[in-house]
Amino acid sequence: MEQSVLRGKAWVFTDDVDTDLIYHNKYLAETDPKKMAQFSFEYYPGKENFAKEAKPGDFVVAGRNFGAGSSREHAVYCLKELGIPVVLAENFSRIYYRNAINNGYPVLFVAGLSQAIKDGKIKDGDELEVNIGTGEIKDVTNGNAFHGDAVTDLEKDIMASGGLIEYLKATATKK
Amino acid sequence: MGKTMIQKIIQRASGKEVQVGDRVWCKIDLSTARDFGGPNCVLQFDEVTDKAKVWDPDKIAFTFDLQAPAHAEKVANNQKIIRDFAKRQGISKVFDVNWGIGQHVLLEHGLVKPGDVILGTDSHMNLLGGVGAFATGVGNTDIVASWINGTLWFRVPETMRITTTGSFGKGVCMRDYLTFLVGKLGADGMFFKAVEYYGETIEKSSLADRITLCSMVTEMSGKVGLITPNGEVLDWLVKRAGKEVIERIEAMKADSDAIYSDDLHFDVSKLEPMASCPDAPDNVKTVREVAGTHIDQVHIGSCSNGRFEDIAAAFEVLKDAGFQVSDNVRTIITPTTREVMKQCAEAGFIQKFLEAGVVFTNPTCSLCTAEHYGVLPGGDVGVSTTNRNFIGKVGKGSHTYLVSPMTAMASAVKGVLTDPRDILK
Repeated sequence: MEQSVLRGKAWVFTDDVDTDLIYHNKYLAETDPKKMAQFSFEYYPGKENFAKEAKPGDFVVAGRNFGAGSSREHAVYCLKELGIPVVLAENFSRIYYRNAINNGYPVLFVAGLSQAIKDGKIKDGDELEVNIGTGEIKDVTNGNAFHGDAVTDLEKDIMASGGLIEYLKATATKK
Repeated sequence: MGKTMIQKIIQRASGKEVQVGDRVWCKIDLSTARDFGGPNCVLQFDEVTDKAKVWDPDKIAFTFDLQAPAHAEKVANNQKIIRDFAKRQGISKVFDVNWGIGQHVLLEHGLVKPGDVILGTDSHMNLLGGVGAFATGVGNTDIVASWINGTLWFRVPETMRITTTGSFGKGVCMRDYLTFLVGKLGADGMFFKAVEYYGETIEKSSLADRITLCSMVTEMSGKVGLITPNGEVLDWLVKRAGKEVIERIEAMKADSDAIYSDDLHFDVSKLEPMASCPDAPDNVKTVREVAGTHIDQVHIGSCSNGRFEDIAAAFEVLKDAGFQVSDNVRTIITPTTREVMKQCAEAGFIQKFLEAGVVFTNPTCSLCTAEHYGVLPGGDVGVSTTNRNFIGKVGKGSHTYLVSPMTAMASAVKGVLTDPRDILK
């Protein structure tokens, strides 16, 4: 697991961000994950230019139930391909959670993040320092600190393998 | 300690005694993909397995529903990727563009039994909980994994019990109750949980109503809503899926000392027509509160509310209004499946709808996306019986009210959002 401290800009989203806002149904016919990045958050009001303006290393920060809605794995691929190293949210919707784990894409569960966003304790454009390994999150712009919990149990093993297919291959070899 | 239905289903599928929170590998009874997500599954499977054979071609099915028939070359090519793969792998359960919405087609073909574990690239797969199946929407990687060895990982969820009593008043139906629940519980009100629905209202409800009720568990972030088939629904299911259905129901019944995380009771007797207002399913008001709102388009259909009973309910409203929809709105009806469309034809509905000015389409998901037909231009307001209304979902800058088929038709007749009780005689 990554132990080094990552530094990047925060892109802050609300609670219940639906997959249509992350990756709109208009582009579902796309089958190449590399081409999905350009459509990230195109339908999210106020964040239409996210894909153009976000830099590799920036962070997606959201409240409760991130990734609600559709089963589309596009919504994980697009952020991964854009170089967003981790999504920080209070919690994640069921299918989005699976899709992230299955791709070895890090997500951190940050208690209190929904309220912190509403209270302006973490804002768009803030500089963040994130240690995915320890879960330490620091908003350098205003000095606020948060803690993110990584996944546990089987999900941790799948993440460690790099994703579900890699996990299956690794366990099949062991047998 | 007693077990809930989902625990019993997972125990059967995993061969293990399970507790809430356990992660287990379940045998998959049916692993499906559709024209959306399906090509991604095929390409990924071929890449990671170097074009190996799937684990069991008889337990894989493809449905074409999101963009059926194809409206663009990219989509047409995607559909061909699926057809070619199915042929190469010897997968015979391919329901092409002439069949309709996947879950419903699978159900009509007897491929769904209570207690089955079913996967699909559709977040509303879980509407099959309406006949007691644990069906769940997943991404392409989960599907690919299941095609490799026929199993998939699950976390054993908590179970919520919802008991419903009372009968619906005139102009009020299961969709209104569902909308009420989404508003009451909120977008994460069933977070990761399974749900068991009980009570007289459920026991006497039709298959269509059970599907409706289970179809928006996803909009409350739940895993699956389960209803035990009984009465006419059970007869229908046994006819399609065989006598094993009865054994399955016995095996998956919740124990009397099962533990529930929540125990909710609602009575629907005084419920009014409800609407999910722009721009979220849980932004719920009564139709009375928003009546008179300007609208541009009405759509009746989708996996939630496009079965024969839904269209028949809309037909009754149209009949009481003298068989004419407003010239100021575009009214579109989309049956769920070919079987439903045939029922509508046999009942004489289609002729009347066409005469009234309705666009009656082939069975498809269509208006659940902004990438097929019926797209809304920016600024337009739609009224729909689909299940999501996030801003721009069916066209950038458009807004949608989600309502029952009766409210949708009443609004189509008047040209503004209308409570169906103002029309029904």
